Amino acid sequence: MENIISKKDLVDRIEGLLKDFEIIGPRELPNKGIFYQPIVNAGDLYLGDSFTVEPVKKYFLSPSEYLFKENLEQGAKPVEELPLPGAGRIIIGVRPCEARGLVLLDKIFDAEYKDDFYTSNRKRSVIVGLSCLMPDKTCFCTSMGGSPAENRGMDAILFSAGDGFIVEIITDKGKDIFGALGSDIGKEEKKAWELDKEKRKGALEKRITAPESLDGTFESVYWQKASLACLSCGICTYLCPVCHCFDLVDEERKKLKCYDGCAFVDFTLHASGENPRPTKKERYRQRVFHKFEYFKKNFGENLCVGCGRCIRHCPVKIDIADIVDKAPLTQ
Amino acid sequence: MKDWEPKIVGFLCNWCSYAGADLAGTLRIEYPPNIKIIRVPCSGRVNPLFVLKCLMDGADGVLISGCHIGDCHYSEGNFYARRRFAILKRFFEYLGIDPRRFQMSWVSASEGDKWAKLIKVLVEEIKQAGPNKLGGRKDG
Amino acid sequence: MAEDLKNKARELLRARQVDLVIGYKRASDGIAAAPCFIDIEGDADKLIWDAYCVYNLSVYLKDFRGKKIGIIAKACDVKSIIVLLQENQLKREDLFIIGVECPGVIDEKRLCFSDRQYQEVDRAIKCRPCASAVPLLYDWLLKEKEKMGKVSEDHDKYDSVRKLEAKSLAERLKFWEGEFSRCIRCYACRQVCPMCYCPKCVADQAMPAWFPKATGDKGNFSWNVTRAIHLAGRCIDCGECERACPVGIPLRDINKKIEKDVKELFNYEAGLNAERKPLLSCFDKTDPADFIR
Repeated sequence: MENIISKKDLVDRIEGLLKDFEIIGPRELPNKGIFYQPIVNAGDLYLGDSFTVEPVKKYFLSPSEYLFKENLEQGAKPVEELPLPGAGRIIIGVRPCEARGLVLLDKIFDAEYKDDFYTSNRKRSVIVGLSCLMPDKTCFCTSMGGSPAENRGMDAILFSAGDGFIVEIITDKGKDIFGALGSDIGKEEKKAWELDKEKRKGALEKRITAPESLDGTFESVYWQKASLACLSCGICTYLCPVCHCFDLVDEERKKLKCYDGCAFVDFTLHASGENPRPTKKERYRQRVFHKFEYFKKNFGENLCVGCGRCIRHCPVKIDIADIVDKAPLTQ
Repeated sequence: MKDWEPKIVGFLCNWCSYAGADLAGTLRIEYPPNIKIIRVPCSGRVNPLFVLKCLMDGADGVLISGCHIGDCHYSEGNFYARRRFAILKRFFEYLGIDPRRFQMSWVSASEGDKWAKLIKVLVEEIKQAGPNKLGGRKDG
Repeated sequence: MAEDLKNKARELLRARQVDLVIGYKRASDGIAAAPCFIDIEGDADKLIWDAYCVYNLSVYLKDFRGKKIGIIAKACDVKSIIVLLQENQLKREDLFIIGVECPGVIDEKRLCFSDRQYQEVDRAIKCRPCASAVPLLYDWLLKEKEKMGKVSEDHDKYDSVRKLEAKSLAERLKFWEGEFSRCIRCYACRQVCPMCYCPKCVADQAMPAWFPKATGDKGNFSWNVTRAIHLAGRCIDCGECERACPVGIPLRDINKKIEKDVKELFNYEAGLNAERKPLLSCFDKTDPADFIR
């Protein structure tokens, strides 16, 4: 079901929804970038062409969350689980790559094992997507089975059209939020929309082919060369819509689950002091293999949605897509 | 808030300031009990991270006290401390941390009187500055 | 000009004067630069030198200790090499510094926001106060063809620090807490900094931990403040930390405050003299003591 709405109607609707929902959406911080933030004024929403720095993943897998705490007071429960989030919320402005990232993360956190924090966040969130009009030089979603116009993982999606938007409703959750808005799309407009979607897909310049399998290239010297520039920081991991490794730490009488990354030097440090991935070569190779080999073998898809954040924000412009594209097929 | 008492952490060098504080006790000079003293061998031993951690973990004020210049038991420790904490003092103020919360003094082993007076003034100043809210808010 | 650079690299590798040349190559997007590691003559073709070469390559030197390295370094990069020499992290005889006269590099952050097409934008803010395009230390110099003046005349390098100093205490606290609230603890600022070479960073120490690993007011504030303190008298303002920060924290405004104080209090500037003792390893009888009761 698709409707045409004006920007003003959209803003008004969101303003109205603020009463009942927490609303999160992109906001522009001048000279710093676009960030997902809680929205208090619907007019603050940024629905333009630039992409957010952090992906929507952080609202489902928090950068740090406390799982339980210990109480020392008399009579209190010694170990107390912290409450799960429950209030309804709308996340608006989510790009197709990020939403597809959530679908991939569901395979890990909402499958045989269900992570309570993740699943309760998924249940309470309405995802309103925003189709990309202008991919940038680092985007390669079409090479990863995605598209700037697709709607997997979303409840509704917005396409900019003229001064307003076309809103495509996908699920009942989406219908509850936007169903009554705007006017029905006409035949001509629908045709134009279909063409526009194709145009958006075609606008991506970067195209790569990930090899079917990296099996057999583990010992290749290629990984040594590819990883020389890596600084072992956490940007690519933290900003990736699908990276999900975490660390469990005891802090201030609470159990903390926080982001961790295979790029960090200490990621595989054992209590014995032994580190099986002591240099960048092992760590970068692990990153590539996890995304393009192991996850593919286990779950059928690459653990990558082609959003390009890792390339865009890498301090030294390492291009994992390029590295994978040029990866050797054998030792 | 009326019964709020500031918690001040003091890093006192063993040879001068700690002895000076002890002398104040021996002389039965009364001074406010708000300071929690940590004995270090020398003011030069104090790592700026100690000061930061105290303020972030809820201390309302931090004091570093050592030997007078030229009198350091280890000859030079307090020279290094002087340099290090000159930078830290200005830096903390730049970050928005009330300058009254981090202070430094030279108190010798015979200055029990000075010590007591110093703490009285310090506690008053930190009472004026109010409870330290740094790092005490929402975490994670 | 880039041809001269390539020839020099080839010559160094051919003569076995160096085991590796670290320089810049074109990135995969065809526009930006990326670090390049050349160990065979043939690869020297990849080398480039232009306004996109923003990176401070001296951060890679610690990965190649014991080898002879040729490194392409701008004036600011050379200052960090000087600090590393001052702190005995590198041996001068292991380095062949290919100095480049630099008229200023581009501002990457502003580039990203201007229209997706990399247009001509102003030189980076960090370049404006640059005193001299000629590196203080080099074994060979690639000269800039045109005569160069300063990147920008009359620029107060502590301008933004002064503006912050002029605000009230409460305003400053609010400002910094606001900026640090976006920190994601990716540690890119640390990893990109040539001066952050501790094998085990204080932030990674657990049992006991200095400050929380969690992103939150306490952890973020502590981390950024700790890093600034550890750079006191060592930071040479290459600007890489601020450039690398994905969430736009004005890290240079923190480091430059300490740089300004260190100059005022002790008349010390980092990165000028490899023979001079590091700032906090020495003291002077005239060091200010007005803050001590």
